[in-house]
Amino acid sequence: MKKSIILALFLILLLGISSAVNAAEEVEVALLYPLSGPLTEAGKRMKSVYEVAAEVINGSYDIQGVPYAKTEGIPGLNGAKITLKFYDTQGSPEVGKAETERILQEGTAKLIIGAYQSAVSKPTSFVAERHKFPFLCAVSSSAALTERGLKYFFRVAPTDFHDSRMFFNFLDDMRKQGKKVENVAIVYEKTEFGVHAMKEVKKRVDESKGVYQVVADVPYAFKSTDVNAEVLKIKAAKPDVIIHATLFSEMTLFAKTYENLGVKSNANLSFCGGYQNPKFASQLKDTVEGYMGSCTFAEDFIRKKAQLKTINDMYKAKTDMNLDGIAMEGFTTLFVAVDAFSRAKSTDPESVTKALRTTELVIATLPGKGVKFDENGQNIWIDSTMSQIQKGEYKVVWPNEWATTAMAWPMRP
Amino acid sequence: MDVTIFLQLVISGLLIGFVFSLIAVGLTLIWGVMDILNFAHGDFLMLAMFSAFLMFANLGIDPVFSLPVIVGLLFFIGLLTFRLVIKPVLGYHALIALLATFGLSIFIRNVVLFFLGPDFRVINQSVLAGKRISFLGLHLSLPQLVSAIGCVLITYVVYLFISKSKFGRALRATALDKDTALLMGINTNRVFALTFGLGAACVGAAGGFLVNFYYVFPEVGLNFAILSFVIVALGGFGNIGGAFLAGILVGLVENIGGFFVGPEFKYTLVFILYLIVISLRPKGLFGW
Repeated sequence: MKKSIILALFLILLLGISSAVNAAEEVEVALLYPLSGPLTEAGKRMKSVYEVAAEVINGSYDIQGVPYAKTEGIPGLNGAKITLKFYDTQGSPEVGKAETERILQEGTAKLIIGAYQSAVSKPTSFVAERHKFPFLCAVSSSAALTERGLKYFFRVAPTDFHDSRMFFNFLDDMRKQGKKVENVAIVYEKTEFGVHAMKEVKKRVDESKGVYQVVADVPYAFKSTDVNAEVLKIKAAKPDVIIHATLFSEMTLFAKTYENLGVKSNANLSFCGGYQNPKFASQLKDTVEGYMGSCTFAEDFIRKKAQLKTINDMYKAKTDMNLDGIAMEGFTTLFVAVDAFSRAKSTDPESVTKALRTTELVIATLPGKGVKFDENGQNIWIDSTMSQIQKGEYKVVWPNEWATTAMAWPMRP
Repeated sequence: MDVTIFLQLVISGLLIGFVFSLIAVGLTLIWGVMDILNFAHGDFLMLAMFSAFLMFANLGIDPVFSLPVIVGLLFFIGLLTFRLVIKPVLGYHALIALLATFGLSIFIRNVVLFFLGPDFRVINQSVLAGKRISFLGLHLSLPQLVSAIGCVLITYVVYLFISKSKFGRALRATALDKDTALLMGINTNRVFALTFGLGAACVGAAGGFLVNFYYVFPEVGLNFAILSFVIVALGGFGNIGGAFLAGILVGLVENIGGFFVGPEFKYTLVFILYLIVISLRPKGLFGW
């Protein structure tokens, strides 16, 4: 009897030691994404790209310009492997908040990455801030997220500010070439993402001092059953350029309704969102020929950076799709986390946050130099380009330093 | 304001309104006869749209031609739902049947999510896709026009069937008083089963049309289900003509109201209309 008790105690001790060893060899990152509900498709794509990123980090890959690809695991933590644990926000701010609380209560994750929508990133990052826990935001674009003075919040993606500035630099360039772009219609879903994106557009219009006018301001309800009223409002205003902040479902409806109701404009520009989903181009084909939008990655980038083909191939094997800007921002974000762990040589939240604040990660995955955060946690080394759908593919058409293809103007001759 | 824009608003409102009507007719039939609010109605719509999409993507059958198959399939799904989900809870509190359909809704959505994934799918190479009729500055999208005409015809056929046929009389008798209908020799269980099948077939037809111009994904039914609940209540529970007219009304309010008041308020306007009607006529516009 005594022997069996001693044996049991020994086994328990052994189990404890072995899990302590495992804990030292693995660093868990919690990821908040919509894995059910109307944004499941986007959430699943993000899940796939993080799995690819973890594979590259934990394995050894020869990808030029991508640090931590060649080494196995996290160098500063003796090669500890990254493990991912996904939490489903269902696309809801309330569920996102509850899941963040759960992550913090479980206490196994060393950093949080999330969330897809700005409306979910906002409350979830507040929860993390209250617990003084590092929160890395990969893709949410509302500029307001990094204007809240949070100390534990960092964002890799460009914001609506960056995209709107790029749009108007582009329009300025078109004006110089004698193209008509002054009358602008703005179309946006009434969510954190849409409202803030268009706030930035309106700021750029105001800054132009009368060069540009908003001739139609068209907010709409997310999950609309039809967008006829919206499109007719735009049609009545006869804009030169239409700017969208729209997710995939409505973007397909808008594109079809523009076609059905004979709406023509010189250009149709989109913030990140529905336009960037590769299925937008592949499924709608001719309907969306000539549409343009901000782009931090398209398959076309491989023509400029051949080494990124490996990552694109790995992602394509999982999803049957090419990487898009949002996916590549997610990919890069996990490398930012690894860089912080490695430099901090610790997984302590304060040390990791301190390391994030001093991030200067030169990485070739996105346009721009890489990742460096300002005092608000916004990446200031990021850049954005303009892509255009041509024959079902995303082609980078502006600025010249990134352009691979000549732009079609007007979008539909 | 440009007259063509106004006319276009009316036309667009009517075209989408007819589709809303057919979706709501299926729902009101089930409610009117069985006093059951089918929460899985939106998911039946989604099943119809997915079936049409899969037939198009895998077998190359255009949604226009797959429509009869979709209607038949949904009729069968309706019968099956009655047999497996509704019949066992008949005779108990109405809330149980309602919860059963709610559970069925979640089940259907998740099964589709599991087998077909969460992706959005669009049919863009069908016979009707991208075609439109233009005259006097007005544009009628052919997929929407065909859908609207189809929905009106089917609604009319259902109306005739209910008001003229022997089965229709049995159905109305059952709806008025189930026990007396039973005493008169009407097999009420059979009436219930066929009503459920007919309701599902109506929404199946609407889904078969809708797939020509709307995207498909596992939660697509939710967008339409909420509106169809409003339409059914607005038109009067169990009233086919009421659902038809209320569907058109919702389509027009959504489009014209959305244009003049602001697109972000178009559903608010629909719900305001609903609240006004319900407070003045609790049984709906055409309820009795």
